[in-house]
Amino acid sequence: MNANDIFHGITDIRDDLIDGAEKIPGNRKRWLPKRWLGVVAAALAVVILGGIFLRPGGESTAYAIAQAEYPEMAPYPFLESDEYDEAAFDAWNDSVMNQRRNLGDTSSLQSFFARSAQTFLTGTEGENRVYSPLNVYMALSMLAQLTDGESQNQILTLLGSDSMDALRKQASDVWNANYWNDGSVTSILASSLWLNQDLKFNQDTMDTLAQNFYASSYQGKMGTESINKAFQDWLDEQTGGLLKEQAQDIKLDSSTVLALASTVYFQARWYSQFSEENTSPQIFHSQNGDLETEFMHDWGSADHYFWGDRFTALHQPFDNSGAMWFILPEDGMTPEELLTDPETVEFLFAKDKYSEWKNWMWLFVNKAIPKFDVCSQLDLREGLENLGITDVFDPVRSDFTPMTGNREEIALTKVDHAARVVIDEEGCTATAFTAMALAAGGPEDKEVDFVLDRPFLFCITGKSGLPLFLGVVNNPVGN
Amino acid sequence: MDDGSIVELYHRREEQAIIESNNKYGKLCRSIALRLLGVRENAEECVNDTWHAAWNRMPPERPQSLGAFLGRITRNLSISRWRQEHARKRYNGIEVLLSELEDCVPAPGTVEEIVERRQLAQTISTWLDGLAAEDRRLFIRRYWYCDSVKELAEEQRKGANALSQRLLRLRKSLRTFLESEGVEL
Repeated sequence: MNANDIFHGITDIRDDLIDGAEKIPGNRKRWLPKRWLGVVAAALAVVILGGIFLRPGGESTAYAIAQAEYPEMAPYPFLESDEYDEAAFDAWNDSVMNQRRNLGDTSSLQSFFARSAQTFLTGTEGENRVYSPLNVYMALSMLAQLTDGESQNQILTLLGSDSMDALRKQASDVWNANYWNDGSVTSILASSLWLNQDLKFNQDTMDTLAQNFYASSYQGKMGTESINKAFQDWLDEQTGGLLKEQAQDIKLDSSTVLALASTVYFQARWYSQFSEENTSPQIFHSQNGDLETEFMHDWGSADHYFWGDRFTALHQPFDNSGAMWFILPEDGMTPEELLTDPETVEFLFAKDKYSEWKNWMWLFVNKAIPKFDVCSQLDLREGLENLGITDVFDPVRSDFTPMTGNREEIALTKVDHAARVVIDEEGCTATAFTAMALAAGGPEDKEVDFVLDRPFLFCITGKSGLPLFLGVVNNPVGN
Repeated sequence: MDDGSIVELYHRREEQAIIESNNKYGKLCRSIALRLLGVRENAEECVNDTWHAAWNRMPPERPQSLGAFLGRITRNLSISRWRQEHARKRYNGIEVLLSELEDCVPAPGTVEEIVERRQLAQTISTWLDGLAAEDRRLFIRRYWYCDSVKELAEEQRKGANALSQRLLRLRKSLRTFLESEGVEL
């Protein structure tokens, strides 16, 4: 094999790849130097189980009973460096290859994402709403590992898995495909279990959770200040302090048998840069009236521009990772209504939109994106019950034998989910666009305006292409 | 004219097919040939040969993407032309003879070579699928369309140096991927 062979190999790559890289005709715009922007986002899901069999105990601090070990990634060799360090690149490249996973057919996952998004992102009543599908997926997967019988079947059915073996494998692959911690991008799905010290637990189950779900387990006396502090510190640490306020509301009282916490933390920089000089106030037309807020502007940069019958969409890629997608409903339609549109749902959860979605063009786009910091806190119980997860909430019908070894009257008493996505010049990012009017077949010009000045949807996808965060922005100024 | 209509002209053996191909894809093919060969006259000959090759291949072929089909022919013709020129300039009798004798065998080589080349192209396509959209576009623009780094830097609004480093990383990444897929390098 020599360079000629590689040349011929490249010559014969698939047609769609070649067509997808076509040049945009027309004049190039003068560009101004811009500085990096970034995205910071975090989510947590906490499942709390209560029971009636516990005996009082004396321990007051939490101690680890199973520890998850995360893969180590070599540091990202930053482009800003003048000297190219081949060894550093090789080390980084090796760790990237180690995280590579073939997720295969993800249609069952996509079905769960679609159903859960429709459940948890509706009923916003003009408020912002953020939800992490992958976060809830990981929490439910672990819950399935802790249950048996019909309790487990209901979860497997919702997640579209044939068996616990299949779900374990899938969850492990999903975790690894989304894990990224190299100094340039942080994307970590963390999980932990907090057990009452009087609970007789099954060590094999805890070890399985550590190995397959990267979840650590701790045990201590519930209802004490020390375990609440340890629990909240863990949540703070895993969410980069972004959800401190929400974490403080979650207490492990003395009736708690077990708390299952799952978090997502994501931080990345934009691939292309915005200029702070181009940020200026602009009107956002919310459902509750007009608001003035800061909009980031970028004129004439080349971008992928997507559209469907009821929406237009733009994506803002991250450096060395996934992308943030902005989906603007057609005029007169709310983001929640758009979530019931099958075409939009198909678009939203397509793993590789470039190959799976035909309606896109590489165009010069004039963007106006509002800066925002959106946060929401949800009780998932009712939504999960609507999605068919009922037995785990019933102490008589629930089956947690894999966790305890015995049939005890234990039930889920609380399922909290909190998420926050921040977009501004300093670190957290989100963008809003108001789409131009489109011709039936798509844009006719090679340059379009895309101004997000009314409620819209966003989706953050990581390296795997799966949705880490979904959100409805009704008010970029805040709740 | 759309691609389907131009392909139809080839199949009806109408010479207008070449005029329409030149109108729509002449610029693309000239650009590829000129960037590979660096000599306008040679590039022009390659483009003319491209229309000739397309005329011979359609029918029976019906390419889905005419741009990719014609651009690919231009790349193949350009690399052959470059080899011939390279050999001639070096006055290496054997190399010139071998280069001329390549005309006696059907390009690009034996059945085995063709299969290997297809497999390699598939592997590279799979690697491209796994890249971030911007990296994928960058690699294809540089190594398929042969855009200069300076042009790409202007379009992507990045420094040429930074882009060169990114391309270097992509080449290294491709190498690692090919090795992991069992391609003998």
